Amino acid sequence: MKRLMSSVAVLAVSTAVAHAQTPAVPDNLEKLSNFQTTGTTEFTLIDQEGEYADGIKKNLERIKLPDGFRIDLYAVVPDARHMAVGPQGIVTFVGTRKDKVWAVTDRNKDRVADEVKDFAPSLQFSIPNGPCFSKDGFLHIAEQNRVLLFPAAEFFYESPDVAAFNLVKKGELVPAEHESFNHTARVCKIGPDGKIYISLGQPFNVAPAESLDTYRQHGIGGIIRMNTDGTGREVYTYGVRNSVGHDFHPVTGELWFTDNQVDGMGDDIPPGEINRQTAAGQHFGHPWYGGGSIRTTEYEGQEVPVEVVMPAAEMDAHAADLGMTFYTGGMFPERYRNAIFSAQHGSWNRTTPVGARVMVTFVDGDGKATTETFADGWIDENGEYLGRPVDVAQLRDGSLLVSDDLAGALYRISYEGN
Amino acid sequence: MRGALLAILGGGMLVVQGPAAGAQQPGDPQAGLRKAGMCRTCHGIDGVARIPVAPHIGGESAAYLSRQLTAFRDGTRTHEMMSVVAKGLDDQSIADLAAWYSSHSATASLPPDRNEAMAPEACVACHGADGLATVEDAPNLAGENAIYIDTQLKAFRMGKRRHEIMSEIAAGLGDADIRALADWYAGTRLDVVPAK
Repeated sequence: MKRLMSSVAVLAVSTAVAHAQTPAVPDNLEKLSNFQTTGTTEFTLIDQEGEYADGIKKNLERIKLPDGFRIDLYAVVPDARHMAVGPQGIVTFVGTRKDKVWAVTDRNKDRVADEVKDFAPSLQFSIPNGPCFSKDGFLHIAEQNRVLLFPAAEFFYESPDVAAFNLVKKGELVPAEHESFNHTARVCKIGPDGKIYISLGQPFNVAPAESLDTYRQHGIGGIIRMNTDGTGREVYTYGVRNSVGHDFHPVTGELWFTDNQVDGMGDDIPPGEINRQTAAGQHFGHPWYGGGSIRTTEYEGQEVPVEVVMPAAEMDAHAADLGMTFYTGGMFPERYRNAIFSAQHGSWNRTTPVGARVMVTFVDGDGKATTETFADGWIDENGEYLGRPVDVAQLRDGSLLVSDDLAGALYRISYEGN
Repeated sequence: MRGALLAILGGGMLVVQGPAAGAQQPGDPQAGLRKAGMCRTCHGIDGVARIPVAPHIGGESAAYLSRQLTAFRDGTRTHEMMSVVAKGLDDQSIADLAAWYSSHSATASLPPDRNEAMAPEACVACHGADGLATVEDAPNLAGENAIYIDTQLKAFRMGKRRHEIMSEIAAGLGDADIRALADWYAGTRLDVVPAK
């Protein structure tokens, strides 16, 4: 069995495990859809102990949280992006912006993962960033240009061959000529209406006028939804630049989502956004607005041809708000019930970096939102990132998982009381 | 020159070091280091990428780096992030940044279960079997994320990115070919030894 040494030095880029796929791979998806075996028998396992894990634990000592909370290393997971916690609490699936999906298992329930291995190793993934579960245990994975469906994934994942089907065939999520790498970290969640909602970032800093009709038609620069049999696809949300996190309010069922805003307008504008959508088809302002009420240079002075919904909460400019989840657990103090936990990846070209935090946003009865910093300390005194949070997800015990694609890790935040 | 390099390549490992000859303007690596704050979140201060969408650039030839930065600045190559960053760079800054990142040493190697004979024929003359470039006009591909290489080849095929050799090579490749080439180089290993 292959083992990826977790002691991979920061400077050594070991992608040697990525060659499990030989060039002439037949389409294993077809075999798996017919419940056939592919002949793939090996998993890539990630070491959970040793120098690398110790280094992460040391960095976590710097993280500041409100009184009574603690943060611990839950798992070493290379390139960890968005997470889907299995409804039975057996396994957490973690996407990447590369070609792997990781299955993270805490077998002895000591709230630290014991096993991290690649999921469905016979399949060739492309940017499988966004896993999401339905309540009845169907795992969906939103990729660059395909959505896969894995029935009973919490059961099948123990074997290299899993049952796998297309929800959206390769090339049918967006037209191939509009594929991009950046802004292609798709996320998905199943809504209270039982439909799957999938974010489709648009590839540009500011979407060009000549692409707007095509984008509108496909929901690029928006969020689409469809039935979980793949029928009934429609654009649910318009005017989004690049949303990489959404969730549904536990009481109202409304869709809330983060959106990353325009670069190159200065260090302090435009603000990042957390948005609240109250009806299908609403428009959130891109490309006429670059974030909040700040107009983009490219569309400056032009009449805005749509009715625009302004953000529910404005976030720090360039902090890169990504994954978010409403808190419904019983572990944290009452004030956090139904609050939004969201991850800030951190800025990439701001003079002084900002972000790399977990934020909490409280929403009152009128939908008014106020945001506080919940966990920070991943930017050191030299302005260097020690970690970059990507997504937050709730475990069944009410603790919170945070993924980090720079450190390659999942953290667990729990409440011990005072 | 190329013959000699290919001969070295036969040894399985090639070391590229120091600023490449022929850079249009002499750059100062230390000045580049001071300006690299805007690069490091994505490319690392040593040129080892910190995010999958960014390529590794440590130990790349100064000529290649200058050309790409100039192309981003002038709009002949576009990228959502790089076009924003490069817009504000003057020629001296580009030369300095290229000098800094090219001053690192890059080495590459194949995984134990592969040999050079298995390397993609269309690529090896310029990018090496192990992904270490043999000509200064070509980037290293060793250890690059497969999706990055896949994206670039498709950009050449579609005309979004242009190069006299690459446009022609990519034009003849199908999606599966492209992914196979990308997976080959993603499966090689890059080590970067930072400059002092």
